[in-house]
Amino acid sequence: MAKLGPGQGLGCEAAEGSLVPSRKREYKPCGKHTEGKRPLYAIGFNFMDARYYDVFATVGGNRVTTYRCLENGSFALLQAYVDEDKDESFYTLSWARDHVDGSPLLVAAGSNGIIRVINCATEKLAKSFVGHGDSINEIRTQPLKPSLIISASKDESVRLWNVHTGICILIFAGAGGHRNEVLSVDFHPSDIERFASCGMDNTVKIWSMKEFWLYVDKSYSWTDLPSKFPTKYVQFPVLIAAVHSNYVDCTRWLGDFILSKSVDNEIVLWEPKTKEQSPGEGSIDILQKYPVPECDIWFIKFSCDFHFNQLAIGNREGKIYVWEVQSSPPVLIARLYNQQCKSPIRQTAVSFDGSTILGAGEDGTIWRWDEVDHPSSRN
Amino acid sequence: MASSSKASDSSQRSKRSDQGMGKDAAAASVVPIHANLTQLIRQVQSGRLAYIKEKLEVNRKTLQRHSCSLFDVAAAAEVASRGTDGGNALSQRAAERQCGSDLANGIGERDVVSVQEENLATGTLALSSSGATAQRTIVRFVKLPLVEKIPPYTTWIFLDKNQRMADDQSVVGRRRIYYDTVGNEALICSDSDEEIPEPEEEKHFFTKGEDHLIWRATQDHGLNQEVVNVLCQFIGATPSEIEERSEVLFEKNEKHSGSSDKIESRLSLDKTMDAVLDSFDNLFCRRCLVFDCRLHGCSQNLVFPCEKQPYSFDPDENKKPCGHLCYLRFPQWREGFKEMHDDGLAGGATYTMESGTASQRVDVNVMYESEDSNRQKGNIRSMTLVGTSGSKIISSVSAEESTTTPSADISETENVSSDLPPSSLRKHKISKHGPRYREHSPGKRQKVFTSDISFEGNIMNKLSIPEIRDTRLESRESGGDKLRILDESTKKTSRKDMCGESPATTMENVGRQSNKVSSTKNFLESTLSCWSALERDLYLKGIEIFGKNSCLIARNLLSGLKTCIEVANYMYNNGAAMAKRPLLNKSISGDFAENEQDYMEQDMAARTRIYRRRGRNRKLKYTWKSAGHPTVRKRTDDGKQCYTQYSPCACQQMCGKDCPCADKGTCCEKYCGCSKSCKNKFRGCHCAKSQCRSRQCPCFAASRECDPDVCRNCWVSCGDGSLGEPLARGDGYQCGNMKLLLKQQQRILLGRSDVAGWGAFIKNPVNKNDYLGEYTGELISHKEADKRGKIYDRANSSFLFDLNDQYVLDAYRKGDKLKFANHSSNPNCYAKVMLVAGDHRVGIYAKEHIEASEELFYDYRYGPDQAPAWARRPEGSKKDEASVSHRRAHKVAR
Repeated sequence: MAKLGPGQGLGCEAAEGSLVPSRKREYKPCGKHTEGKRPLYAIGFNFMDARYYDVFATVGGNRVTTYRCLENGSFALLQAYVDEDKDESFYTLSWARDHVDGSPLLVAAGSNGIIRVINCATEKLAKSFVGHGDSINEIRTQPLKPSLIISASKDESVRLWNVHTGICILIFAGAGGHRNEVLSVDFHPSDIERFASCGMDNTVKIWSMKEFWLYVDKSYSWTDLPSKFPTKYVQFPVLIAAVHSNYVDCTRWLGDFILSKSVDNEIVLWEPKTKEQSPGEGSIDILQKYPVPECDIWFIKFSCDFHFNQLAIGNREGKIYVWEVQSSPPVLIARLYNQQCKSPIRQTAVSFDGSTILGAGEDGTIWRWDEVDHPSSRN
Repeated sequence: MASSSKASDSSQRSKRSDQGMGKDAAAASVVPIHANLTQLIRQVQSGRLAYIKEKLEVNRKTLQRHSCSLFDVAAAAEVASRGTDGGNALSQRAAERQCGSDLANGIGERDVVSVQEENLATGTLALSSSGATAQRTIVRFVKLPLVEKIPPYTTWIFLDKNQRMADDQSVVGRRRIYYDTVGNEALICSDSDEEIPEPEEEKHFFTKGEDHLIWRATQDHGLNQEVVNVLCQFIGATPSEIEERSEVLFEKNEKHSGSSDKIESRLSLDKTMDAVLDSFDNLFCRRCLVFDCRLHGCSQNLVFPCEKQPYSFDPDENKKPCGHLCYLRFPQWREGFKEMHDDGLAGGATYTMESGTASQRVDVNVMYESEDSNRQKGNIRSMTLVGTSGSKIISSVSAEESTTTPSADISETENVSSDLPPSSLRKHKISKHGPRYREHSPGKRQKVFTSDISFEGNIMNKLSIPEIRDTRLESRESGGDKLRILDESTKKTSRKDMCGESPATTMENVGRQSNKVSSTKNFLESTLSCWSALERDLYLKGIEIFGKNSCLIARNLLSGLKTCIEVANYMYNNGAAMAKRPLLNKSISGDFAENEQDYMEQDMAARTRIYRRRGRNRKLKYTWKSAGHPTVRKRTDDGKQCYTQYSPCACQQMCGKDCPCADKGTCCEKYCGCSKSCKNKFRGCHCAKSQCRSRQCPCFAASRECDPDVCRNCWVSCGDGSLGEPLARGDGYQCGNMKLLLKQQQRILLGRSDVAGWGAFIKNPVNKNDYLGEYTGELISHKEADKRGKIYDRANSSFLFDLNDQYVLDAYRKGDKLKFANHSSNPNCYAKVMLVAGDHRVGIYAKEHIEASEELFYDYRYGPDQAPAWARRPEGSKKDEASVSHRRAHKVAR
């Protein structure tokens, strides 16, 4: 399959955001929480269930920790889950929901390549999925069907799992698949059959499981052993985009557009134009660019609030840039900076309404910023 | 804006008024052009920003609608759960843990600093925060029980058959970044030192904005050197590209104003046999008998065997009529057909039409009327006809001159035969016209013309229809009629396209042509029904396959299109026409089939050349040329020989010294074009007892599997004959040397190796020298393998397997379970390269008796200089935690 590059030249320019903060919303540092010495690779609020919008989790080393974000600027520790394998290093987490009893599930995975599904209501390990051939770099949950998760692995594949039945439904790899570690995946917000993946082969790939949806449905009612499920390989993506020239370590859908970043100090918003009839063809149109200074190391991920109004990304020096992601040209809301924070911030978490921003630092610290004079009427 | 447009107006005016004045004025106008263009560029850019804004706004709205509905669903669920116990399990728990803490006042003013302490001994976590009020929470860990890891692997796709690497999978000449977890560094693997192919001067791709700029600039200032030069400063393209583009744009805009797209839309109404067969020839693999073969690739060299299987031609007496429209049911046809078949050489040529065709005439008339109603189309077609047949006449005239007796009869048939030769001839002629068309009108008209190539057959037939009304007596008059029509159209054509020719010649052409046309018509009259180009091509194919058997042709190739009687009818007349050809060529050969075959072969050769060129843009391409350096080596029998890739030669009859097979040192195989008696052909074996499993079998000795097509006693049968299938030949002789071919492999299991990582295991016990399975993978060139190997060696896992002088098997991403069989210096299996039906394949065989569920090992036989340190212990070592945890800290070198 041919890679598609972005259009270049007059009339294809991207709108680039200015680095002067608009200060539309003011944030103040609200303390730090040192979890330990091991780097925190992921942090995330639970957007899967309206009851738990104030709950978040972090992963670092062999530990997964859940917290509640308190109004007063502190955290309440809910529970800590420790893998008995000391060598495990979790890289990613994602919240999910059991589609039967609705209990909050936390899915985490890392260097061992084993996906751990934790039921946070019962505080017990619900399931472990073995199958990936190497470490797992990211897991995302399908918001429309919160028991479907997708995992990106170093074994060059992306896999779709049913958390409830523990079935690996589809494997996205092969002839048109990634040619190096897959670093990031994200479900399309409204098109349930579509997702994007990106990785160390410098490409972003858009996949469709339309033709395989039968298997997704089948996975819910599967009663036999999960290993007997007829897992299918999806070998060809809908589109392969060569937007970046280095590792692509984070990708997120913004409506029908895609936000992705490499190690080039910027996030790029682009429109993938796919052709329904002829997969592999189409075009790429780069719409906007969000500069992020000192963001040239890989495995730095960004996140948005529930409504995709704000995007927060950390950088190598421990600063967090908050962009108003949907305005054109993009507007920088704030640059969050804490004297004490010097080490890279790998992942951020933005609360439901964007009033709280958390950063997970490599020094094992959670940094918190709260909006000043946050009008309670905003809700 | 207003001022700038004024400036541009004035510059334009000055430009136009003193075009011949000299360079001073022109130079003076550069400044306003520049300013104007800057203005234009700003316009384009602001337009782009507005476009982006609009797009984002639309996107924002849909996204918001979606996220709001998602929230509504979640909120509804929350409301529903509120009443029940444990509706919010997490907050309850949090409340329990927050016991005794007082967080109410003013903490927000100061930083909250909290620190955790892990106490592994007690399995607790203590959280202490220092703020306005200190607090301490203790939580007991929940342990995630150990789950056994599986050995690492890269996701791979199962292959039951080797595949050639697709072009886009090549790593040669590409920069790759490899992350070394052990050394904790990013390595860039590229061919900087060697042959990175210089990026070709890529053709500039013009964006819409640039098009707009060029269009506006040339509209305002005209297309001249200054404008182009200024444009070059703004657009990163060469002046010639810009000039070219502006012309394209000019035409495009012209087109938009006029309505000239009508003709284009007819482009793909019908496909000719050529086009159909072209995709067949390009996509169908004659070795694997599948379309889109992944092993041998598309667009293979076409090799046609010089020996064709003769088709037995049953005498009519023995045949049963194939249906109620079979020619055998019409005695007069039968007679005619027989006559033609028996003494075609006589070729009386003056066939007067029998009765009993009136109904068909009516048919034709109806068609004529419909043609009339389609006047417009007809005109277009006749125009082209004149253009093309004109040239044809020139050739036919020369042919006529060479005939000694230019009688009316012969010229008539001559015309027909010049009409009949397959389209390659026509295409050739037409392509001569190509440049002429292009001179006057690039683009548009040329399309008309290409579209008509494929329709020409139709045109010929359609044009013939009016004539059919006329009887022979009226032919002169009709010729006059025709002349008038043609005259008109030719005038048009000649005005437009034949400026070079003098009117006299044109007239002459027309005259001759009308003559020709009328005579052609008279002849075609006898066929009566309209044969499209496709049908005619199918018919010719049928002749090639079945010989002159109208029953089989009608049933197999023209089913639903033509009846047997129609085919016989066509064959009868057509055959007569064909029969003349030898006469004209002064050769004596009575075999029609052979003649027609000749045509077909000429046609085929020409066609593939033409289409090959056009087909180059196919999406799916495979490397065809090898990157290796084939060396001629003697095949030795010591098991260490270097095998040479076989590709079929296209030698006809005997292979000589220039045969590519002989040159490379491979045998000719059944896929070669040469005859069975070719001295270079591998003859197979005649084994009777040995089951072809010892060196006494010539096949076995040459590291080849037996081939049922070649070997005498090696025979495949399916079943015991109870279902009527053919029984095995040679008294139940069972060849034991066709296991790869027949895929008679053992069941292999994949599991955790006793040695390291993954391992392959056998399910059932096997004996010494039993075939276990094939080592499949991607076929890559040696050069490619070198590049890939650099990365694989770093990752401590290599799945490369040397196959022959051209290819290496790479099972890294595609392969089968045997790729996991580990290396051992004391193995229980061995690998052997076998030539199976012209392809080298790797079989894994038992070196000794192996018990059920034993692990399989074989000697990887690394070359002396390439055995890596890990050869005896593949991957599986634990990773250092420190290095893993720091692995992301490193910047990727660029």
